Amino acid sequence: MTTVTQTGKLPVERRGGFSRKISGIIEPYLYVSPALVLIIAVMLMPLILGLSYAFRDIRILNPFSGGFVGTAHFEALISDQAFLGALANTAWWTFGSLLFQFSLGLILALLLNRQFLGRRLVQALVFLPWAVPTFLSGLNWAWMFNPVVGPLPHWMTSLGLMAEPFNILSDPDLAMWGPIIANIWFGIPFFAITMLAALQSIPKELYEAASIDGATTRQQFISITLPFLAPTIAITLMLRTIWIANFADLIVVMTNGGPADSTQIVASYIFTQAFRRLDFGYASAIAAVLLVLLLAYALSVIALRRAMTHADS
Amino acid sequence: MASIQIANARKSYGAVDVLHGIDLDISDGEFIVLVGPSGCGKSTLLRMIAGLEDITSGDISIAGTVVNELQPKDRDIAMVFQSYALYPHMSVAENMSYALTLRKTAREKIADAISGVAEILGLTALLERRPKALSGGQRQRVAMGRAIVRKPQAFLFDEPLSNLDARLREQMRTEIRKLHRRLGATSVYVTHDQIEAMTMADRIVAMHDGIIQQVGSPVEIYDRPANIFVASFIGSPAMNFLEGSYEQVGENSAGIRLTDGALVPVLPARDAQHNQPVTLGARPEHITIVSDGENGLPAKVELIEPMGLSTLVHVTLAGKPIKIFTMDRPAYAVDSFIHIAFDMAKVHVFDSASEKRLPPASEPHGDHAGQ
Repeated sequence: MTTVTQTGKLPVERRGGFSRKISGIIEPYLYVSPALVLIIAVMLMPLILGLSYAFRDIRILNPFSGGFVGTAHFEALISDQAFLGALANTAWWTFGSLLFQFSLGLILALLLNRQFLGRRLVQALVFLPWAVPTFLSGLNWAWMFNPVVGPLPHWMTSLGLMAEPFNILSDPDLAMWGPIIANIWFGIPFFAITMLAALQSIPKELYEAASIDGATTRQQFISITLPFLAPTIAITLMLRTIWIANFADLIVVMTNGGPADSTQIVASYIFTQAFRRLDFGYASAIAAVLLVLLLAYALSVIALRRAMTHADS
Repeated sequence: MASIQIANARKSYGAVDVLHGIDLDISDGEFIVLVGPSGCGKSTLLRMIAGLEDITSGDISIAGTVVNELQPKDRDIAMVFQSYALYPHMSVAENMSYALTLRKTAREKIADAISGVAEILGLTALLERRPKALSGGQRQRVAMGRAIVRKPQAFLFDEPLSNLDARLREQMRTEIRKLHRRLGATSVYVTHDQIEAMTMADRIVAMHDGIIQQVGSPVEIYDRPANIFVASFIGSPAMNFLEGSYEQVGENSAGIRLTDGALVPVLPARDAQHNQPVTLGARPEHITIVSDGENGLPAKVELIEPMGLSTLVHVTLAGKPIKIFTMDRPAYAVDSFIHIAFDMAKVHVFDSASEKRLPPASEPHGDHAGQ
């Protein structure tokens, strides 16, 4: 029986061997092709197209534009004071927001991790900022800083923080704090949610064992809570940095980059160049620079993390 | 080392009473096992001794000092958790030295203590490893090491072996016993496993529904259970129970009339009345299979369970399932009838209403229950 099948099959296999091998290689790609096509169409193509714009002169209002300009946009960028200012503002915006979002979010998570009456209600309230559309939040905060309709300037005057009620959004030195404060309010829930989830995954017995071992609350925090939270902290800080650096909504709504570009970050500068001045080529060049900067940041964080976990094990 | 006194300790969560007045004296160096089904309050009691749970009322003293208000760290006790609760980010050595480091013990002293304990527990080669890289049994040892290093007044064990496989559990059982003999430390050990209780305890505290049912040595508890709960919980395979009524046959003989009319002779029980509803309790090893000619009760064979060393014969008698332990290798056909006899001197009579054991008149007073 076996010999019969073998002698009968062998020549067939020899003849069809090559094409069968080819189809064997192609087959798995056919299965993944729908997903691949989709990813290429919606992610890769726009990226490549956007990058190609950076090297072309594309201005919507100029019908004769569209030609290849080489690295002209990038050369212009180096001496563009508005861009350099935006770069510095991005760092201020990103790390100013991040520091407060993280520390307040962590404190909130620690508080929510305790048992108290009405905890579920408070939890739901804490996560509310995320349910509000960003541009509405921006508008609300802009009004709150406005002494004509908002209470904040009057409160700050009463507290002695201001000599007289005025809108900080119209003061070039202080304007950045407006969107940053709104962003802190908006970003705390993210850290509170993720940190709370991480906190709740810590086994309770560890704290009990530590309390029997004689550790104070502070020592328990350092030797149990922080090591457990470290991976979550690392990944959320990295993600959040990139998100905030790209997050121009609040700034565009609240200050539109003003006054005098004092709140212009790279992302809002791209928006201004692309959709206010309609210079898509230049905007794409800025976006390309931002992409490279963020990639470099992400890679360095990942390398750092790898080095740390490597030293760990 | 220290003694532990628990006086009328109660615990309630809101309106729910978990412990209803626990009284227990644990002497210095004693190995006490709290045993009972889940939800009986044994773990709560242990955690109250540790200071991880508040005491609703009553007193707990360690070495003569009332510790009700003391923090766990000030009670000078060590606890081994079911999940081991090892600090995952610390090495074995760091796990064991954590308590000493917190107390600012000199570094050389810590190193000495660690190496000594690691030696005893066979952990020397593993000191630099993280708990993640250890097997269940090794983690268990580290948890024990962490407790021993501190030289506490008392050890508290919360079901420490339940996460181990059967063979390892057996091995750790003996090891913990040996350790106890070596260190002589007062130990309170919580388990739901009656074999652990029997093999390890100096004294067993059997608990049910937040009440201590009986305190006594393993043999005492096994041979003279205070009530039906203790009798059924301790022993594997479990004791058989048959309902019936007590009959005083003569001055020195008595029996239990089963529901099917058969009479099982028992030793005359103290405090039992004629016709009183009682429950007959017989351990599987106290029932023998007899040949037809003898005075046996006919029982229907349901199942033969060979266990290697012995065989368990399942039969039905008076409509109730009965297990019989035998060292023979019987080959009865299922559904056939055999004759069985109860060992009169070994069976127990329980009052069906109070479920308390009615000891035979010949048994000395007051040594069957209590402390």
